[in-house]
Amino acid sequence: MLSVDGLTKIFSNGRGISDVSFRVERGEVFGFLGPNGAGKSTTIRHIMGFMKPDRGRVTIGGLDAWEKQGEVQKLVGYLPGEIAFIEGMTGRAFLDFLASMQRKDSRAKRERLIERLQFDANTPIRKMSKGMKQKVGIVAAFMHDPELILLDEPTSGLDPLMQRTFIELVLEEKAKGTTFLMSSHSFPEIERTCDRAAIIKDGRLVAVNDIHELQSMQRKLVEIIFEHAGDAEKFAETEGIRAESRDGSRVVVAVQGDYDSWLRETAKYPVRSLDVAAQNLEDVFMHFYDRKGNRP
Amino acid sequence: MNAPLFRQMLKVNLKGFSNYAFGSAFYILFMIWLYPGIADNSKALNDLVEALPSGVTNAFGFQGGFGSMESFISGEYYGLILPLLLSIFSLMLSTQLMAKLVDQGSMAYLLSTPTTRGRIAFTQALVLTCGLFFILAVTTGAGFLGYAWFIGDRFEFDASRFALLNVMAFLLFFAIAGVSFLVSALSNDEKRALGISGAITFGMFSLDLLGKIGESIDWLRYFSLFSLFRPSEIVLGRDDVLWQAALLLLIGLAGFAAAIVSFRRRDLPL
Repeated sequence: MLSVDGLTKIFSNGRGISDVSFRVERGEVFGFLGPNGAGKSTTIRHIMGFMKPDRGRVTIGGLDAWEKQGEVQKLVGYLPGEIAFIEGMTGRAFLDFLASMQRKDSRAKRERLIERLQFDANTPIRKMSKGMKQKVGIVAAFMHDPELILLDEPTSGLDPLMQRTFIELVLEEKAKGTTFLMSSHSFPEIERTCDRAAIIKDGRLVAVNDIHELQSMQRKLVEIIFEHAGDAEKFAETEGIRAESRDGSRVVVAVQGDYDSWLRETAKYPVRSLDVAAQNLEDVFMHFYDRKGNRP
Repeated sequence: MNAPLFRQMLKVNLKGFSNYAFGSAFYILFMIWLYPGIADNSKALNDLVEALPSGVTNAFGFQGGFGSMESFISGEYYGLILPLLLSIFSLMLSTQLMAKLVDQGSMAYLLSTPTTRGRIAFTQALVLTCGLFFILAVTTGAGFLGYAWFIGDRFEFDASRFALLNVMAFLLFFAIAGVSFLVSALSNDEKRALGISGAITFGMFSLDLLGKIGESIDWLRYFSLFSLFRPSEIVLGRDDVLWQAALLLLIGLAGFAAAIVSFRRRDLPL
């Protein structure tokens, strides 16, 4: 559906992307991950045909994204990272206008989406909060039933409940065969929706991974408070348990992938309380870069 | 052209168009209303104008004298106020239609729909041209209306020369808008676009004014589009307007065409 081949673009300040290649198959949800400034947005701009690549090409459904600009857009829905609507309109007027430019009658779906995301579409855009603009943007990207939907940081500004609604929405569309490319920082979002994810750093693609591999790379810090300080000490010294710190009966232990053995060790002692802090996605990547990213 | 975009842009800008058009119409009506009082003293005024240094009369377009209504209006309105008004209009609107949309990012939405960049740029150019046409059409209409209301048959009025004056004003600003639109289509930054096209437009305006005041530096006017619009000579029927009209039209078309072509090819930071 989407193929990026050796995409290279170097800006005058020396930054940019070089030799980025990946393919997204029809009906797949593809995550696009990396720290700010790594080249995610630059890649998405090329996919949207806003920029001409120095080298390489992007094709959507077999059409070149730069050459066939205007035609490719029939297949694409887009949610920009920085949303800017046309001034002086209400949300509904903007969506009506955009629908007329998309040349597709999408009224029924539009109303359904507005209902789902629960916002008042008649609010003037300049009075909208960040989250509300994000919702209008999501409706605009989904309403015309495109074959490929590009989402740049789709859940920023949404509250947790809406994030869940959004994930459901993506999964429903995915079930219908829609292809997605989304950049995100939120692990639960990527975890629940994506099949594969690409990691980009300093303009280069570091890896394209199956999502399960990423899950196993995620490290969790578990804080356990045991009933007895003695148990805590014994537990912390167990072989295979990576205790980060111990303070009386409180132990903080790092778990990565080996949940099973950790759980069995913990269950040997009476536990008073337990708290899990998942490492955020950024940290997973930083860790990942440390191991793999520094190769020449 | 993209019809939904055209309609939307007209809707957003209609209020601005109307403000300029009605401001211009009221000014010209006011001038016409004043004219009978001045015409009665036109002999004295013409003497006064002759006493002024010729540079000054040139600069303000009084060389047509006050003998006929259209020469009075050409001097009073088309010589200075209207060019200023339409310069501001062309600058603001051309910047808003392209550079601003790129700067704030809403251009991304227009380009995410199945329409080409060329078509978007063409549509925006058409909006700009229609805006200019609307303002000058209302101004021309107000001119004829004012003549019918306030003047009747008391003074001579050459309607075709007055119409020609407006056609030439339209062509002048078609050319100036074409240049500003090109700057706007090439810019990523709204303020920078406005700064550059403002410097070009008012720079040309000043060159023309200086060239008119100082006889020895009248070559300065060759660098200014404003010298192709000479209201006082048009109303006297003295000037050969045909080649000026053709030149203005060509410059305008070249500006818009270059804008559309370059917008199609450039990288956009959206």
